[in-house]
Amino acid sequence: MFKSTLAWIDQRFPLTHFIKNDLADYPTPRNLSYWWNFGSLAGLVLVMQLVTGIFLAMHYKPDIATAFDSIQHIMRDVNYGWLLRYMHSTGASAFFAVIYIHMARTLYHGSYRAPRELLWWTGQGLLLLLMATAFMGYLLPWGQMSYWGAAVITNLFRATPFFGEQVVVWLRGDFQVGDATLTRFYALHFLFPFIIVGAVMIHLIALHTVKSSNPRGIELKPKDNIPFHPYYTIKDMLGVAVYLVVFSAFVFFVPNTLIEAANNIPANPMQTPAHIVPEWYFLPFYAILRSVPDLAGGVAAMGLSVLIFAAMPYLDRSRIPGGARYRPAYRFLFFIFLADMLVLGYVGAVPVTADTAIVGRVATEIYFLTFLLLPWISKKEEAYLIKRGLPPAVEEFLQNNANKKH
Amino acid sequence: MNKRFLLPLLLSLFSSFALANEIELEHDPIPTDRASVLRGAEQVATVCSSCHGLKYVQYRSLLDLGIAKETVDVWRGDKPLNSAMKPQMAPDDAAAAFGVTPPDLSLMAVAREGGVHYLYSYLMGYGVGANGETTNRIFTVTKMPDVLGISAASDAKQREEISAKAKDITAFLNWAADPRAGDRRSLGIYVIIYLLIMTILLFLWKKQIWRKIDAMEKL
Ligand code: HEC
Repeated sequence: MFKSTLAWIDQRFPLTHFIKNDLADYPTPRNLSYWWNFGSLAGLVLVMQLVTGIFLAMHYKPDIATAFDSIQHIMRDVNYGWLLRYMHSTGASAFFAVIYIHMARTLYHGSYRAPRELLWWTGQGLLLLLMATAFMGYLLPWGQMSYWGAAVITNLFRATPFFGEQVVVWLRGDFQVGDATLTRFYALHFLFPFIIVGAVMIHLIALHTVKSSNPRGIELKPKDNIPFHPYYTIKDMLGVAVYLVVFSAFVFFVPNTLIEAANNIPANPMQTPAHIVPEWYFLPFYAILRSVPDLAGGVAAMGLSVLIFAAMPYLDRSRIPGGARYRPAYRFLFFIFLADMLVLGYVGAVPVTADTAIVGRVATEIYFLTFLLLPWISKKEEAYLIKRGLPPAVEEFLQNNANKKH
Repeated sequence: MNKRFLLPLLLSLFSSFALANEIELEHDPIPTDRASVLRGAEQVATVCSSCHGLKYVQYRSLLDLGIAKETVDVWRGDKPLNSAMKPQMAPDDAAAAFGVTPPDLSLMAVAREGGVHYLYSYLMGYGVGANGETTNRIFTVTKMPDVLGISAASDAKQREEISAKAKDITAFLNWAADPRAGDRRSLGIYVIIYLLIMTILLFLWKKQIWRKIDAMEKL
């Protein structure tokens, strides 16, 4: 019965083919570290955000007169409403944490390099969508930080050449952040996750075309690939379990650490909070924005700081495969970049003073320099490593590449 | 609230900087036991309620908290049980009297940087200024009078009593800001234990499945 049903389906839809080729037998390098778990984790977080979000939408009211109250209604009167809300608010931070680790892994191991450029760029698109979704979602509780965060960020679009004023009004739906802004952000915050699901599909199609990279950065011989099931199904499940422990610790015990105190005060357009800080995941970029004295320059620098990741496949010019594994200078640069991100995060969180302004300025310069010096550094490093002598696997890789050219 | 536990963690590192160069708050532990919360409820219902409301706390939920029906009846007067705790003074009258409407207290325990510690420090922060006027070291220009009378309390025993009162009040307002926090923590313990057991089992299972691969030469 089951067999004949399956046969019936398979004549009309490649179900068995799909399960076999893309889930069960899908060839995966056997040497992936636990850092490779974060892709599937991001998928899980996306699903959890979607599910909790839809249930929240059943009780939330997108109207400036009732939005704040409806959140308290969810927290107090809806059965397990507090759980839905805390899972969703913590989930937003978790999403960024997972995605940033996923990106850091990609950068560290050079997984963005040929032939994985499109995989990387679809990921870049996903990051932008995620940022937009989180930004709009943050307005919905209609607290002080929601309001002023949205006011400050939409105001940045004033820097648009020629149409600045119009673009800001178009985004807000009004001259000020208000009811029109709230309803449109709500509509888009509901829509975007589904676009993200679509973009994830594209990301996965690209992945399954080029297959996973691995810590060596050299494609493995077929005998060193193992089927996804059971090896990576179980490894991903273990990753999920560990993730859920950490996530639950936040949700059940310290869910408020990630909610700004000022956001527990209803939005008040007449009263600006003492310091307006964005959510932690935007802080480094916010610091870059503030490090450039004029608005247009700051907005351009901030935009570039997010988009510059897309240039990585071109900036990294080394013929040595992979990322940090065989390349000490690249590894060094990676950790400089990471440390610089933390410094920028700190600068973004504190009020501007003369000292933090200088630190922010220098950290911004280092941020861009790590990218812009990469072509030169990667070439220098390549020459040095070739002179010093390479491990056999890399030697072989370079030899094969040279042969292919002839 | 629980920020102290997480300070080493990066995430909270980011969000707690705003406190850095502001007035020192008092960090006395705030009780969470039921008796303190109940004593605090009485203070809030009888003292603070003359000016402040708690619009997300219904009188009915005070019954769930364990306060006797007769007591709640006295507090609510002719308001129905499912009414929110309203201020006795009409907001407009209060605004006229103080120059500002006293803010709602439902979320006060989480609405200021420093959370419950802010609240306690604020209530205890009144003192006498150079010209004999009452000031508050936490919120210098506050228009709220020193209702607990800490600025006039001179002997240690009296200050101790007021401090205990302020802690009870803070405990109640902390409950009011998130009445489900108790359920949340008790459920959380089971969830975490369950997940930890699952993690250990999955770890062993993973080891088992991977043992051949793990024995291979490292790549
Ligand atoms: C006589 C009226 C009155 C009473 C009684 C009163 N308050 Fe207030 N309270 C005010 C006013 C007025 C303000 C607004 C102060 C301002 O913004 O300047 C205020 C503000 C506050 C604030 C906010 C401070 C801030 O940071 O903005 C807190 C917290 C507070 N009250 C707690 C209490 C508590 C707890 C009680 C009971 C022990 C209480 N109040 C009793 C009038 C009162």
